[in-house]
Amino acid sequence: MVTKGILSSYKELTDPQLAELMQRGDMKAFEVLVERYRQKAFYLALGLVGDADEAADVSQEAFIRVYRAAKRFDTSEDFFGWFYVILSNLARNRIKKRQVRAAHVRQEQADTDAIRHRQSRSNPDLLLEADETKKLVWEAIERLPYNFREIIILRHFEELPYGEIAGLLDIPIGSVMSRLYYARLKLKTILETANE
Amino acid sequence: MSEEKKIELLMKVIDDVATESELLEFEQLAAADAKLNDEYIAMKRMKEVTDSMRFKEMPDSFWEGYWNGIYNNLERGIGWTLVTIAAALLSSFGLFHVFKDFFLDGNISILVRLGVGIGSLGVLVLLWSILREVLFARKRERYKEIER
Repeated sequence: MVTKGILSSYKELTDPQLAELMQRGDMKAFEVLVERYRQKAFYLALGLVGDADEAADVSQEAFIRVYRAAKRFDTSEDFFGWFYVILSNLARNRIKKRQVRAAHVRQEQADTDAIRHRQSRSNPDLLLEADETKKLVWEAIERLPYNFREIIILRHFEELPYGEIAGLLDIPIGSVMSRLYYARLKLKTILETANE
Repeated sequence: MSEEKKIELLMKVIDDVATESELLEFEQLAAADAKLNDEYIAMKRMKEVTDSMRFKEMPDSFWEGYWNGIYNNLERGIGWTLVTIAAALLSSFGLFHVFKDFFLDGNISILVRLGVGIGSLGVLVLLWSILREVLFARKRERYKEIER
């Protein structure tokens, strides 16, 4: 009862206030921040790594790193923006490791086996009401280079405005539009190749 | 019109954030530029498909265990740090006494003691060199990740 009471009063605090308490080692403040951003963090990670177990790992690890590095956080900055950089770097590393593993598999196995392995990474079952077109588009998104995939997830799935994407990626709005253009162009090419 | 401006206009129209005048400007441009018009049609179609794509909701049990996963990891991290510090202190203490007894033992030839001393110093230099390389590589890797 007492814990619930404390938690509900913490829930009224803003991100900078909670971050300041977290810097002083307040676990409850950290818990409220986790509760506030866990869904957004998980679904962003899911879009970036394309696997629910890995997304849970990556997003939880990002929160742990936030707590460990809390003292380095400037509370005048946007909390989620800082968190996102950590999350994105972890997701990028996870994909890189997966690619290295896939490369080893390719070296060790015949081409057909390697292709099967690569295809098994794509998981359209994560999607709600996934028809053939959606499955095809999701598989194409998974084949995009990380920077392109990231911007597609932020704009198409999270529906973030250009300004917010610019803040998260720390790039000008013009660069957001140009990266989005090249990502969509690449996606179009992948889909056209798949349809041939 | 520059290519950059065209791209910005195309993105704004696809994402439904273009103003009335920008929309009009784009329509005129697309009417005269078949490539731009094709890109618009294909990208708009992709946007429509992705707009209807949603991830499946995770069950409540997943969210109930989410915080516990983080808390347990943090707790174990603290545990491992304490165990590592204790192990480092105890092994330093043990090694110090082993080496002290060995080097102060007059029954062991001075040449053997000298050989072991130089060998140990060599091992220390090698370990330091490897450790420094690992730390340096990790630092460089971290910079590589940030593509800003």
